[in-house]
Amino acid sequence: MNNFGVIEVASTKTTRAPGWAYVPDVGPSGAQAALPTNRKRAARNQSGLSLSDASARQDAKIRKDLEALDRDTHKDVVIPIPTKGGRNTKHTPNVRKILQSQKTFANHLDDYQALVALAETNPAAAAALHPVIPTNKPSAPPSTARNSPAPAAPTASSTKSTTTQTAAASRRSAAAAKRAAAKEAKEAKEAKAKEAAAAPPPPPPPPPPEDPTPNDTTTDTEMTDAPPSEPTTAPSEPPPQQPQSYPPDGTILPAYQRPPPPSHPGDDDPLLVSVVPTFPTDEELRALMTALPLNYLEARAEWGDEEGRYPTRTFCEVCGYWGRVRCIKCGARVCALDCLEAHREECVTRYGL
Amino acid sequence: MAGGKKSRASGPTPPSTTLVLDNGANTIKAGFVTQTKTDEPRVIPNCLARDRHKKVYVGSELDKCKDFGEIVFRRPVEKGFIVNWEAQKEIWDREFFDEKAPQRCDPSETRLVLSEQPNSLPALQTHCDQMVFEEFGFSSYYRGPASAFNAYNDIQGILKTPRAPDAVVERPAEVLLLIDSGYSHTTVTPVLQGRPLHQAVRRLDVGGKLMTNYLTRLLSVRHFDMRNDTYVVNEMKETACYVSLDFKGDLDKTWKGTRGEKRPDYISGAGIAKDYVLPDSHTRFHGIIREYEPCVSSRIRKGGVSTEDVLTLRNERFVVPELLFHPSDIGIRQPGLGDLVMQSISVLPVGLWPGLLANIVVVGGNSLFDNFIQRLQTEILERVPDACIVRVARPEDPITSTWHGAANFAKHAHIERLAVTKQEYEEYGAAWVGRKFATGLGVDGDKQP
Repeated sequence: MNNFGVIEVASTKTTRAPGWAYVPDVGPSGAQAALPTNRKRAARNQSGLSLSDASARQDAKIRKDLEALDRDTHKDVVIPIPTKGGRNTKHTPNVRKILQSQKTFANHLDDYQALVALAETNPAAAAALHPVIPTNKPSAPPSTARNSPAPAAPTASSTKSTTTQTAAASRRSAAAAKRAAAKEAKEAKEAKAKEAAAAPPPPPPPPPPEDPTPNDTTTDTEMTDAPPSEPTTAPSEPPPQQPQSYPPDGTILPAYQRPPPPSHPGDDDPLLVSVVPTFPTDEELRALMTALPLNYLEARAEWGDEEGRYPTRTFCEVCGYWGRVRCIKCGARVCALDCLEAHREECVTRYGL
Repeated sequence: MAGGKKSRASGPTPPSTTLVLDNGANTIKAGFVTQTKTDEPRVIPNCLARDRHKKVYVGSELDKCKDFGEIVFRRPVEKGFIVNWEAQKEIWDREFFDEKAPQRCDPSETRLVLSEQPNSLPALQTHCDQMVFEEFGFSSYYRGPASAFNAYNDIQGILKTPRAPDAVVERPAEVLLLIDSGYSHTTVTPVLQGRPLHQAVRRLDVGGKLMTNYLTRLLSVRHFDMRNDTYVVNEMKETACYVSLDFKGDLDKTWKGTRGEKRPDYISGAGIAKDYVLPDSHTRFHGIIREYEPCVSSRIRKGGVSTEDVLTLRNERFVVPELLFHPSDIGIRQPGLGDLVMQSISVLPVGLWPGLLANIVVVGGNSLFDNFIQRLQTEILERVPDACIVRVARPEDPITSTWHGAANFAKHAHIERLAVTKQEYEEYGAAWVGRKFATGLGVDGDKQP
């Protein structure tokens, strides 16, 4: 028989049918191949699980430790207010409510988070519940001010941004227009940076085109992105005057009044010239100074991106020196044999032999 | 808003006395300020305490307490914010309003300037405003961020900027980067002309409490169980701990070594190891720090007779304050103080960086650790562009610095623009007051006289 014309091709796919199976042989650890006889051993040998399991366990331990470190007292204590007669005990309803409240900060924080979540999904209900938070608006709307042109928005850049607007209006690719706008804004900014650098009292020569120092930071690029977003506000403002000093005159931060430092023979050395970053405009400063406070959770500093971070340091759990050795049983770090032995005693009592 | 201004202009003249309160989690700093005179602030423990004989101390009564062994505390302030008003009212009552209160005042003739930590919860702020007006009945009140008050100090004097002796002190300071490292947490706030730049406020949840608890844990693992003696450990932390300028080197010097190794640095103590004599609650109520004596400690270890409990502190001395710079050492997923400053200023235009970095002031109790300022300066210098000048300084008394700033603020013209009177509160309500305080000074007010 020629197998009804069907030709078998060797494949890496696992085919299963009642009674028989093609299983690609890729080594000893076949997933389902070796059916375990011992359930306990099977649980331990499941690949990948033990590692993540251990880290989960360590995570939980760290979390518990941190919670313990965050507490005021080791044990829960209740110290009642010592009673003292002869004091006014009549309170307004608000005050009575506040005084009787036994809420902790964690309770208040949870309430707040719930309210924020409610405000996102159902603004009306949240407003009815609590009129103050969290969508309160300041007297001066900061949103427009915040989007107002970034420092490099002199007349040149504003006209350029209007041209980019027309370009966008001509229904070309919006992304391309944006890119072009950003590029132009960057050019304008560089030009402005040159002016600003040339302007200050002890006039240094124009900076070298490629400056290695402060300007290539993240904030800088963020600022260049601003102009194309709302270019219409730019023309209405008077063109900012050429900065004669640093910071420029007539701003929220007044100009430097005192005499400049004495000149130095090295001032003209192109290698020693420092780049003076452009000073933010009044609008930017105003936006920053009138912005509303962040909420509690936003203000908490978080780790930045993975690449910019040094690896975390590990310490010996017994003596506090570098944790150079890991305990096989529980993954705790110790420094050397002495500490490992001290740790074993504890480890055995906790996890058994 | 316009109505508010008008009514204030025609309203009664503001009270001449101001009670300035810096209501910290660990201590209250309180004092009276009039236009002509500023009293020195009193530092009051902000807690109810109970010692081992079940005697309860409220606020400044704690000064009468001698034996701090096994003392427990109840604190009205949690995470820097007043949460438990029942306890806070008791303390305030005893300090300011009772018949025999040490700083007695009549709220109806007094203005209150109260500091608060940034990024509070609105509910807690509302509670605070309601208590101040409805319960205590202050005639005028302002609640503002502690960091902004510091701008009214003589910042250039703190930074030791060379200047003419007759130079006028600028209040508020033009530009300032304030780091407040207190009991509950550490915050970074850039301040321009006395206005905090709220978008750039960053908080690190490492404070004095966490460090004391961490030291307690280390001691409990390595020496004896100190978990019931937080007060003693805190004292030990304050006297013995320091910020290491060479962490790796110091850690090496305090290492015992591998098995059988006798490292000379470890045996001699290398200048880092110190003996700390614990209070015995009979003759000595405070711990004493001593130079490390190798022969004494070895004698004790051999079972010699000793009348005192001695702890040898080695790497505990600098590992604990290191948490401020490397919180990840104990698994806190937050950046250290150097990165915290960078995260804060990175949301600001680069043009502000030189000014902020050259005017960094650190307040709060943690700045009293030895070498803290130098270490912070190096950490920041490593991260900023080379051309930036970094100056970090600490006021003479970093604990009362915020209070002194607030006292200067209470004499400044700004207070009149910000304070809210009781009438206004009754007319417009708590929400309006909350909004007014949140909006702050605005920007253009200084232009008009």
